[in-house]
Amino acid sequence: MSSYAHPEALVSTEWLAEHLNEPNTRIVESNEDVLLYSTGHIPGAVHIDWRSDLQDQTVRDYISPEGFAELCAKNGIDKDTTVIFYGDKSNWWATYALWAFRLFGHENVKILDGGRDKWVAENRETTREIPSFPPTAYPVPPKRRDDEIRAFYEDALAQSQARKPLIDVRSPGEFIGEVTHMPEYPQEGVLRGGHVPGAKSVPWKRAANTDGTFKSADELRDIYEGEAGLKPGEDVVAYCRIGERSSHTWFVLTYLLGYEKVRNYDGSWTEWGNRVRSPIEKGA
Amino acid sequence: MYPPKLQQIVDLFEALPDLEKRETLITYADQAKSQGPREGETFDLEDVRKDEECTDTVGVFLKVNPDRTTHYRVTLGPQVQTLTKAMTSILCKGLEGRTIEEVLEVPADFVPKIVGADLVRQRSQTVYYILTRMKSAATVWRNRDRAAALE
Repeated sequence: MSSYAHPEALVSTEWLAEHLNEPNTRIVESNEDVLLYSTGHIPGAVHIDWRSDLQDQTVRDYISPEGFAELCAKNGIDKDTTVIFYGDKSNWWATYALWAFRLFGHENVKILDGGRDKWVAENRETTREIPSFPPTAYPVPPKRRDDEIRAFYEDALAQSQARKPLIDVRSPGEFIGEVTHMPEYPQEGVLRGGHVPGAKSVPWKRAANTDGTFKSADELRDIYEGEAGLKPGEDVVAYCRIGERSSHTWFVLTYLLGYEKVRNYDGSWTEWGNRVRSPIEKGA
Repeated sequence: MYPPKLQQIVDLFEALPDLEKRETLITYADQAKSQGPREGETFDLEDVRKDEECTDTVGVFLKVNPDRTTHYRVTLGPQVQTLTKAMTSILCKGLEGRTIEEVLEVPADFVPKIVGADLVRQRSQTVYYILTRMKSAATVWRNRDRAAALE
């Protein structure tokens, strides 16, 4: 049985319960449910919201390096702080926040395996107390690493035209083009259904167990290498609808399988499916 | 204008600063569990289902009195979002005792007034879902009532 490429990128609920006050560590909750943190959270956890904290409020883009430094400073996060992310929906938004932190070059990042649901299911302690930490002097990152771990429309188009690996992590119905919303969600403003030409369908959920933890390294290799045909060292682009489910897959490929060149196309289907003249394939 | 009890809730929220607005929403969300049917209650219409576009099962229970005033109960699955839970409590309280016709006429524009524009956004749109389901139950009851009147 093989192990994850970076097992240090995961912590278990058992470990975290015993290390809530670990020095130089900050626990960060990121959810889809915008009020969930306020209903109770892991003691000492701060809240970072994918929309109001990580995204620019006018341009469809992420915050600036200055904004990131400010966000970290006010949450008591320093350059060398280990940040442990967790959240709802099997850690969709936790991996999204982790990916955003990596965009700004923050090195020490981990995910709570199983996320919020597993923590709550195990009846572990939660609190409504909002923690407060002394602000840090987080240095402004020299740049955002858009060219390393993020793909834009033109990058995804080039990937498609070169028939390089594109992984569509949405549900099979979305991939085929039968539906333009994801299961259990309302329509979110996409004009056409289908997928990027040449993309392979590997729904994000295949990487997760029913309790939200990640599948074993062997199981993940079977899925991504055995079935989808990816090879270590390949340049891979993952996409979904707005970039959160593909952040989950980006984390799996980067940290659990050790792929060195994986980019998340955060514009995803809400950009590709609406863009004038973007090519689309339908069907399996 | 909204039904008087709903208007009172809207007025309350519009007067609150953002932080207190959130805390009040959490309080309403906490009360969602107590909006389900109570022992001994009977209903004229029960609509329990999980839609393809909603995260969990929602049950709407409607009692209509002879004067056409309504009494709603709502059950929610555990995966329903916190905002949707809050809106369930708000609507059960705000529409209590209103007629079928009044329920059907409630405009949805009270939602951002209560929730705040920042929270009505992508991935929180199910905040409108409970009102839609309550109106749907009212429509079914009204159609049945009209059909019965023709017999």
